[in-house]
Amino acid sequence: MKARRTLAGLTGLIVVGLGLTACGADDGASDGAGSTLDVLVQANSIYPEQQRKWFSDVSAKFAADTGVTVRFETFASPNDELTKIQTSVLSGQGPDIYSLGTTFTPTAYATGAFVELTADDWAKVGGRDKFLPATLGISGPEQGREVGVPFASRPFVMAYNKELLAAAGIDKPADSWDGLREQAKRLTTGGRYGLAVAYADSFDPWKFIWAMDVQAGNPLVTGGTLRLDDPTTLAAYRSYLGWLATDRVVDPASVGWKNAQAIAAFAAGKAAFLPMVSGTSKVTLDASAVAGKYAYAIMPTTPPGATALPAQGRPAASILSGDNLVVAKYSRNRDNAFKLIKLLTDPEMQGTYYKTFGELPTNTEAAGALSGDPTLTALVESSSKAVGTPFSGAWSQIQLALVNVVVQSIPTLSAGRIDEAKLRSLLAEAQKSGQAALDKAK
Amino acid sequence: MTPAPLTEDGPVTTVGPRRTEPPTPVGGPAPTAAPVHRESARPRRTRQRHRPLWMLVPGGLLTLVVIVVPLLTAGYISLLDLDQYSIRQWVGAPFVALDNYVEAVRASHLPHAIGVSLGYALLATLLTLPLGVAAALATHDRFRGRALVRSIFLIPYVLPAFVVGTVWRIILQPDGVANAVLGQLGFAPGLWLNGPRSFWALVIVQVWTAWPLVYLLAVSGLHTVDPVVHEAAALDGAGWWARLRYVIGPYLRGPVSLALVISFLHHVNNFTLPFVLFGVPAPRDVEVLPVLTYVESFQNFRFGLSAAMAVLSLVLVAIPIAVYLRAVRLDTGDEGRNP
Repeated sequence: MKARRTLAGLTGLIVVGLGLTACGADDGASDGAGSTLDVLVQANSIYPEQQRKWFSDVSAKFAADTGVTVRFETFASPNDELTKIQTSVLSGQGPDIYSLGTTFTPTAYATGAFVELTADDWAKVGGRDKFLPATLGISGPEQGREVGVPFASRPFVMAYNKELLAAAGIDKPADSWDGLREQAKRLTTGGRYGLAVAYADSFDPWKFIWAMDVQAGNPLVTGGTLRLDDPTTLAAYRSYLGWLATDRVVDPASVGWKNAQAIAAFAAGKAAFLPMVSGTSKVTLDASAVAGKYAYAIMPTTPPGATALPAQGRPAASILSGDNLVVAKYSRNRDNAFKLIKLLTDPEMQGTYYKTFGELPTNTEAAGALSGDPTLTALVESSSKAVGTPFSGAWSQIQLALVNVVVQSIPTLSAGRIDEAKLRSLLAEAQKSGQAALDKAK
Repeated sequence: MTPAPLTEDGPVTTVGPRRTEPPTPVGGPAPTAAPVHRESARPRRTRQRHRPLWMLVPGGLLTLVVIVVPLLTAGYISLLDLDQYSIRQWVGAPFVALDNYVEAVRASHLPHAIGVSLGYALLATLLTLPLGVAAALATHDRFRGRALVRSIFLIPYVLPAFVVGTVWRIILQPDGVANAVLGQLGFAPGLWLNGPRSFWALVIVQVWTAWPLVYLLAVSGLHTVDPVVHEAAALDGAGWWARLRYVIGPYLRGPVSLALVISFLHHVNNFTLPFVLFGVPAPRDVEVLPVLTYVESFQNFRFGLSAAMAVLSLVLVAIPIAVYLRAVRLDTGDEGRNP
């Protein structure tokens, strides 16, 4: 019976944990050679073959160095990973090392299940100063209480179609959101649209709203207060939803698009700008109709309604995006875990990882080796201008509330205008639920 | 013609050489015991005293571990303020008594979700009934290619829910096949995966996947129809409607009502389909119970609140089960006779 299965799903894992909670050893005893390390990473859907090869290469190299076998496991989605973390945290056994997305790191930190690195631990992974300072921005609430070791960087940028821009007499993408809107209007002709935006994606929308807010001087969370009721947030939603409702610079069908569909539209030459993509889109685009005709630029850093950065604003080109490696407190293999993290974040492996998957290094030396590559200019610049999302255990809920405003607004947009009253009430609801989540944050 | 009068024992026929046992709801053959007489009730009770009940222990233990313990745990968690901050030592999470239930009913989307869930489940159940029964009747008589048709009918039922969800998601995209076809037919294309139409999209897709279950059980019901009654009906000159209503109907009542109860519960508890079709956060019109419970647990990490919602939904689905069990009296040893 499904009802029972649902309940069992919610609780079965907890029952298992009941008998095992006591086993959660918090001492980092090391087993030395001959043992195994379990590592949980996100399955790479773009390069599955290469990922398998990378797993065996890393495992072979680490076994040669230390005699310890590395076993990689993959998860398909952030939700899978979350479930895995929950069961492991409850039962006190599971992977030794997790690879966490940056925006999920604060939530993981809140569980208290991961090792906060001491100065000693940082020394074991090769020193905190071997990393690009910007990439350490979301490793913990403050220096000295960090759990995440930066492993890969995937800053968000904007792809643009060089041919279409040249044909419209535009020499480069605008650096303000208003300017981009005007360019997009000029580029929307003959079945082509100025922008490709994924309105139905579960994550993209909040990244736009957040960036526009930060640029306008509202970091959304200050201390324990949420500021979604700020005029800057309303302006951000108006601008983002306006592209669809009033400016008509995006395909009306994009109300149903996920990120991959927006990329596909741009790859087919149906849109001039593709904001909010990472460098991993290169694979798709290089094998498409726009191969050789597109370039990356950083997204606008001047907020909607402004021509220059306001006094309080920060020129956030992207959220701080990528992966952090964390070590579970229950791991009996802590020393080996740090050894493996050192191996993975040293220049050699970081370079290999970039060449294999196209994700930027977090290691200063490895990143420096790429600085001469002109195709990476925008990515590197975006990485240095990336701003970390608020480090709060409630961030997942706030993120969801931000996306929810877009989801519930979509039906009213097809009328060709933004329903102000509805938008305000949705924002009030988001503010209420987000603030409640912040109030519970510890 | 006057239709044959019905009694508890099924249709009384003028030519019936033997009494037909009433159809059993499980769809299995009727017990072949000699006709039960009221006098035999007492000896049977004596027999019951010597039944080897200890043989139920393994099954009982399994039920305890698989169902009872998790259920009690869920009940306990629903009384705790369990979230991402306390999950590591969940036993020590603050005890908040019924606060989660109060919040679920008063300050969450639960009442709205219950409304959406019940509305769509009832609609989908009612729509699958005529489809399933009609399909069963259509394939009941032999014809060339019947086996193939029967196999094709089962396709929607055997496809994994996420496959169905993904395919329909593509069909119902704003620039997808559904809107193209509607445009060809002269209807206005619209938004199917958000807004008011999304509710109907959910009902349509759910009906598409669920009608074969009604069809299957209706087929099993039709198999129990004694050919003799068809002859009798033919001799009496009954039309197709009279035959369906008075001759076949009584045989189908058991299996089909079972199918309806199972489908209804399945609709109420269906998580995969709405999740894949609409994603999270769900549009308000299709914010069903399982998705809401999932979001509270795995997006908002309010495990206590979510457990309270799960317990409330369990109570909700227990109602139709209780009604059904009373109706078929599966819990009595009496062969479906009025006490």
